[in-house]
Amino acid sequence: MIKKSTDGIQLEGTVVECLRNATFRVELQNGHKVLAHISGKIRKNYIKILPFDRVLVEVSAYDLDRGRILFRYRN
Amino acid sequence: MDSAHLFSGVGEHSVTVNRISARHWHALDDDEVAGRGEAHQRPDGRLFLSIDAWSEPVFDRLAHAMLADLPRPLHTVVDEADLDLLVQWERAGFAPRRREFEYVIPTDPQVTGLDSAQPPSGMHILGLGAAAEGPLRVLDGVIRDEVDATIGWQEMPAEVLSGPDGRLPVDPAKYAVAVRDDEYVGLVRVAPLPRQPHIGLVAVRSGVRRRGVARALLAEVLASAYRRGLGTASANVNQSNGPAIALFEGLGARRAGSTLELVLR
Repeated sequence: MIKKSTDGIQLEGTVVECLRNATFRVELQNGHKVLAHISGKIRKNYIKILPFDRVLVEVSAYDLDRGRILFRYRN
Repeated sequence: MDSAHLFSGVGEHSVTVNRISARHWHALDDDEVAGRGEAHQRPDGRLFLSIDAWSEPVFDRLAHAMLADLPRPLHTVVDEADLDLLVQWERAGFAPRRREFEYVIPTDPQVTGLDSAQPPSGMHILGLGAAAEGPLRVLDGVIRDEVDATIGWQEMPAEVLSGPDGRLPVDPAKYAVAVRDDEYVGLVRVAPLPRQPHIGLVAVRSGVRRRGVARALLAEVLASAYRRGLGTASANVNQSNGPAIALFEGLGARRAGSTLELVLR
């Protein structure tokens, strides 16, 4: 699913790797992989992100290889 | 909505920060949203900020605008490994107030050494979903009062803060409970996350501590996860909570990260 928000493209993806500096490698549904940080809202709510989690990612309009995890789906 | 802050110098465009509601700010770069800020009030009244921006200048401008609009003290949380974000908040004047360690705990009873753990004499453990809601709610209230009277909830992970009415919703499916003479005296709360359950709270009434109640509670919930094929659980522990650190590290738990709570006074 692709959603165009007021500030970027939102895509679903799957976390494939947790990296050391609080970033995650996420494979989007179109096969593209991005390096993603978690959003402030996820951080404030102490939501854990693990490999294989399905997530909603906002891809940066400034750098299509960067993203921000906005939401973690329940399964 | 009720305020706008104008800046220039980001790329070739000027950046405008608008407060679009009481708790939300947008940074606009050439009419595109280049960053967002949010203030969230926790049940204990403290304001926690978050900023999502694709560049440092936009972060700084959002922070500047939000700090100009909001009363002190202000708080935020940062993954300690996220050095870029930590530096940005420190540049805005925030300083560390406390640290939480994240532990990953094995569930295999033979690894944790909990295969022989038994509750103290005269006690028994009710597994997840077996407790009655009424007595569980009473125990939750008693434990919260004990914490309020001692270290206070601001030293505890956010996930165990009270709700707006002073209490959290109590769902017996998420609790295992220690029982003595039909009275609930200890509890562990588990968030049933897929792949890795999260231990949100381990608490024992003051009169029955240091008897192995917490170990017996953890033995129950970790073994339950192990039987479901889950090899690890997670937990957050305040850096100053020596007994809890000793408990988890004694089970073979390893530190997987840490979170800093920052404050601007």
